[in-house]
Amino acid sequence: MVLEAILTATFWVGSIALAIKLLPLILFTSMGELIAEKSGVLNLGVEGLMLMGAFTAFMTAFITGNPWLGVLASILVCMGLGLVFTFLTVSLGVNQVVVGLGFWLLGLGLSDILFRAFVKGLRIVGIPTVNTIKEVYIPVLSDLPVVGPIIFRQNPIVYLSILSVPLTAYFLNRTHIGLRIRAVGENPKAADTMGINVNRMRYIAALIGAAAAGISGAYFSVAYLATFQFGYTAGRGFVALAMIYFGNWNPYKTFLPIFLFNFVDALQIGIISVDPLLSRRYYFFNMLPYLFVVALIPYFGRRARAPRFLAIPYKK
Amino acid sequence: MQAAAVTRLLRVLGFNALAVALGIGAALGIIAAVGGDVWTALTSFLFLPLSDPYNIAEIFVRFIPLYTIGLGIGLALKAGLWNVGGEGQFLIGAVLAIAGAIYIQGLPPPLHLTVMLLLGALGGLLWIIPPAVLRARFGANEIVVTLLLNIVAIQFTLFALDGPIRGKASAGYMITDVLPEELRLPVLIPGTRLSIALIITLAIAVVMYLLVEKTPFGVHAKTVGESWETARYAGISIPKIIMTTMLVAGALGGLAGALHVTGVLHRFDAGQTSHGFGYLAIIVAMLGRKNMAGIGLAALFFAYIIIGAENMSRIIRIPFPIVYAMEGVMLAGVTLADYFLARRMG
Repeated sequence: MVLEAILTATFWVGSIALAIKLLPLILFTSMGELIAEKSGVLNLGVEGLMLMGAFTAFMTAFITGNPWLGVLASILVCMGLGLVFTFLTVSLGVNQVVVGLGFWLLGLGLSDILFRAFVKGLRIVGIPTVNTIKEVYIPVLSDLPVVGPIIFRQNPIVYLSILSVPLTAYFLNRTHIGLRIRAVGENPKAADTMGINVNRMRYIAALIGAAAAGISGAYFSVAYLATFQFGYTAGRGFVALAMIYFGNWNPYKTFLPIFLFNFVDALQIGIISVDPLLSRRYYFFNMLPYLFVVALIPYFGRRARAPRFLAIPYKK
Repeated sequence: MQAAAVTRLLRVLGFNALAVALGIGAALGIIAAVGGDVWTALTSFLFLPLSDPYNIAEIFVRFIPLYTIGLGIGLALKAGLWNVGGEGQFLIGAVLAIAGAIYIQGLPPPLHLTVMLLLGALGGLLWIIPPAVLRARFGANEIVVTLLLNIVAIQFTLFALDGPIRGKASAGYMITDVLPEELRLPVLIPGTRLSIALIITLAIAVVMYLLVEKTPFGVHAKTVGESWETARYAGISIPKIIMTTMLVAGALGGLAGALHVTGVLHRFDAGQTSHGFGYLAIIVAMLGRKNMAGIGLAALFFAYIIIGAENMSRIIRIPFPIVYAMEGVMLAGVTLADYFLARRMG
């Protein structure tokens, strides 16, 4: 019975459409952090930033009723947190790994406390929800079979996230500033000698990374789901970092494993919803996309070559 | 010389106390902002952990996993490697220890218990093999992979609690059955949860100290940590050092999980997926300046902080995530203190 339901075109089309719908949750964070890492800044705290962003977007959308303002607020809050992170790690040269983990824990805890205080303060009963950013149905095209639901009925943020891949590649490879960002990640000393302000480049790159994590975070609360929950990013910030590594710091190659992760995630969500009996094995299915990532490690991990000065502060 | 050493020690303590104060301050700020009782929060944080023998024993109950994991992380740090995966190794260790209790039958209890502990260590060791091999053979960065495997370990633990190790009397909850009396580590101080795991941990610490300070292996690991070039020149096999230090770190992470479940919890549940020992052990190892004895002091210190924070969150009824927020600020604060110390002392 399950097989019958799975072996239909609708199931597969639905899964691919869902995999694409899930893209912004990881893709923005990955692209932003890719830029940050290219400059030599590794922010392990993006998971915490995403949660703070998700809460901020939720709160803003709840108060103003405008989810887009939520996205904007989330970007600003994450950039603020990113600024503190960058000051500590780039200006002071404090250890990035430990501070990054600190920001994750801070975001994990603080977002939940603020959310509960917010709900309590407004005396909201039940699960509070907000207006979400809706899918756009592109006229005519969205009615096409197969490609309609997959490509032409998605959220505007989904389109933006896909666009962010070539944009990141263009930014890093074709713009003046992108080239300088790469230079300070590979060889800060040489870059400095050439008159590039190493720390300024790292600030720019790290703040782009933080802002992008803010979009991913906001997508959780004002588009994909309409609410906030404790730790509901479920490690996707860390997955985003791993995907950069699997993609060998290339935006296009990073896109592929992210899509595959989402596809496995979408398949398991689909399979569970097909058969109520299987939903009892929820945790088994939920584990599959993560196991899939582990399976990718031997293949992709071998080729990975990080920017040479990743996570190493620059001192003159 | 003596006076210099004392000033140095005072400075280290002073700066770290400042970092912790920063964390507590931030937590109190948050509590005040959400309308909690700041004074009660502060006093329950500072004094409750020492208020009675049970609470004092609880400090040591938290000290055991922090120190066990921290020793391994410290060893890897000596060789310049980051094991950010202590959390995952701990969970896998705990799950395998419980699985050993359920699926292995017919052994005499002391042997059975030993096998469970070894299974835990084996679990942690297996969990670190992918990043260790990638690092040793292909030079791939270990930070991201060890971290990623934590997330996978959480998902795996939830799956295990939902199926293979779920208790017969779990009544719909994701929880294992309680370990039978003979498969628990004997209690060290009656009336508390402190078991002989403390002795095991201290014994491991002695071995680790000797390993690092008194053997060629320790010297080699340090050399690799300082400069690969020197290590190569000295004829040290870098991949071998990477593999050994990482595998020991993983095994200790797994053992910590097994010790916690056989010595303290006696059962395992989904709540344990967010205890955070593996992450705190990283600051413990940093704070202990990679010195096996120093890591012990740092572990004790952080165990106190955990108990304080737990008491605080319970007494003033602020949700537990306040503890994460506080730990996060402390994590950043302690590294910051470390930075200022390094600058002051050159």
